[in-house]
Amino acid sequence: MPVSYLDAINAALREEMQRDPNVFILGEDVGVMGGAFGVTKGLLEEFGADRVIDSPLAEGIIVSASIGAAMAGLRPVAEIQFVDFITPAMDAITQQAAKLRYRSAGTQTCPLTVRVCYGGGTGGGLYHSQTNTTWFAHEPGLVVVAPATASDAKGMLKASIRQDDPVIYFEHKKLYRLPAVKEELPEGDDHLADLFHCAIRRPGKDATIVTYGYMLQLALQAAEKVAEESGASVEVIDLRVLNPLDHDTILESVSRTGRLCIVQEDHRTLGIGSEIAATVAERAFDCLDAPIVRVAAPDVPAIPAAESLEQFYMPNVSKVVDALHRILQY
Amino acid sequence: MATKVKELGAGAAVRSNHPNPLISNDKLKQMYSTMLKCRLLEERARILKKQARFKGNYYAAVGQEATAVGAGIDLRPEDTVAPSHRDFILNFIKGTPLTAMFSQLYGRSTSPDKGRSAPAHGGYAPLNIITPGSTIAAQLNIGTGIAMANQMKKNDNVVVAFSGEGSTSLGFWHEALNFAGVRNLPIVYVCQNNLWAESVSVKLQTKVDDISLKAIGYGFPGITVDGNDVVAMYRVAQEAIARARTGGGPTLIEAKTYRWYGHSEIDPARYRSAEEVEEWKAKDPIAAMERYLTGKDLYSDAWKKEISEEFQKELDAAIDVAEKAPPPEPIDCLDYLYSFDIRNRELDRKNYSPKF
Repeated sequence: MPVSYLDAINAALREEMQRDPNVFILGEDVGVMGGAFGVTKGLLEEFGADRVIDSPLAEGIIVSASIGAAMAGLRPVAEIQFVDFITPAMDAITQQAAKLRYRSAGTQTCPLTVRVCYGGGTGGGLYHSQTNTTWFAHEPGLVVVAPATASDAKGMLKASIRQDDPVIYFEHKKLYRLPAVKEELPEGDDHLADLFHCAIRRPGKDATIVTYGYMLQLALQAAEKVAEESGASVEVIDLRVLNPLDHDTILESVSRTGRLCIVQEDHRTLGIGSEIAATVAERAFDCLDAPIVRVAAPDVPAIPAAESLEQFYMPNVSKVVDALHRILQY
Repeated sequence: MATKVKELGAGAAVRSNHPNPLISNDKLKQMYSTMLKCRLLEERARILKKQARFKGNYYAAVGQEATAVGAGIDLRPEDTVAPSHRDFILNFIKGTPLTAMFSQLYGRSTSPDKGRSAPAHGGYAPLNIITPGSTIAAQLNIGTGIAMANQMKKNDNVVVAFSGEGSTSLGFWHEALNFAGVRNLPIVYVCQNNLWAESVSVKLQTKVDDISLKAIGYGFPGITVDGNDVVAMYRVAQEAIARARTGGGPTLIEAKTYRWYGHSEIDPARYRSAEEVEEWKAKDPIAAMERYLTGKDLYSDAWKKEISEEFQKELDAAIDVAEKAPPPEPIDCLDYLYSFDIRNRELDRKNYSPKF
């Protein structure tokens, strides 16, 4: 039976908790309620309240306590219910988790995983729709991942939990139950996905799209549409990992296609696309046959609630198609 | 309930000749000599800083030694210390080698953090001393997580987390104590109330007279103790540590004390009156303990001289090692970021432009 993105995350948590008694979950509403979206459903019943811990409503201590527990040898999986609420944990994530190994020259480490729900397009409004992946991609010392498929949702979470570094694992709420990303996953397999490389989701030779998360769905649809309309063949790269970036897969693709379109749900200025564009300009300038384009959210604080405003804000298929036509016709 | 301790310590019992049934004479002498060594260590560090023998800054706890010694002297290696920027001496108290401590001040490749953290921001993994960052109160929160892990692992290790009174204004401080209360964690929070957070008076930090009162809000005991009275501090801390070890949960200890010098070596502390400083210097915890031990026939000036001379030699040797140790190689800047190496990523950036 095809497995949803949400069920894939749930299965990863269950399998890792069965495998390793040091793995535990800490977050708001993760226990009795099974998570605001049901991601941790059934885990309290299976593993008990000592390993599926309903925390006080305090993101700072959710992450800080997880850092300490990780230092002491456990494998915490902290949950931040919405990335919009992650700001009280910013010191913990950026000043402590990201820097602990460095400031102690490797003698003190905190292999924790922070699961973060993010993303717009659900009418959640300003404080239930934010993306904010850039904040963490900008922070050396963190591994930041954003799976776009059910297989990656499972395999990357299992690998994150076993990774000896702090991992910020971004899960897009619009993917949780999206039929298009349901896929067959072998039952009980111990599939660990790679945490360090992009994946080419659609090969092509005329242009490259780089994107991640829910935006992959839009990119694949746009690539298909452009192929139908003009016959152009567009390569689609799923970033998968936002920090540290896998530059070479992107550069190699652009060196073949000569054209680059970056699609991101974060707003434009200093987003992940800015770094990718700068890298391509630095290291593959001669390969470019057209300007680099970004399809990004506008530089407004967050996603407004009204549907009309949200639609203006969010990247969509037609915005990506337009961008592709512009660079293909340059 | 929050209570206060004002009894039976070096300050109150100066003329008492009764044996202390709870604390052996050896322990009393050990506390004195440890305080004295902490003082000598920090005064040397301050001189070295003023001589520009090491760069950066230093945050002396001179005047506060009784607090650190009373709380830290009997900790086991497995117990965790979560220090603030002013708790460098906790390293010495817990047993970090002096060569490691001075290598830390000098930022040498031989320091526990290989020249990364600021001087005085020293930790030591073999003895479970967290290498602190500078963001205030963060070490309390991390220590709280270690206490949670100890509880989950069902061992009897404790965490002692140190901070100043300024830290109690932060949301972080509240989050840590609240969490520890909810989960009944094996941790002792030692708030060293030295009246000044850099230049800001405690009266501008909190409306309550005794910070220990705040423990009421978290559902565990809070106690205020004379932080310049090492015997009182020891008794209170050991009771709190024993409670934590045996599943009794957290305690907040407010130790009222005073730092003799500025926030750091570049702070002349003009915001304090000379009278206030002199008043507190008269309450020197080391001098008080000398009087206390004298009353018990446990002290002599010759003994103090012997400890001092011996320890100055140890300091000389450790400083010599640190000064001769090599600095980190510049390229080491790229190390210890992740569990994997990033040197190639930074240094070997493949170029895809044929003409560049």
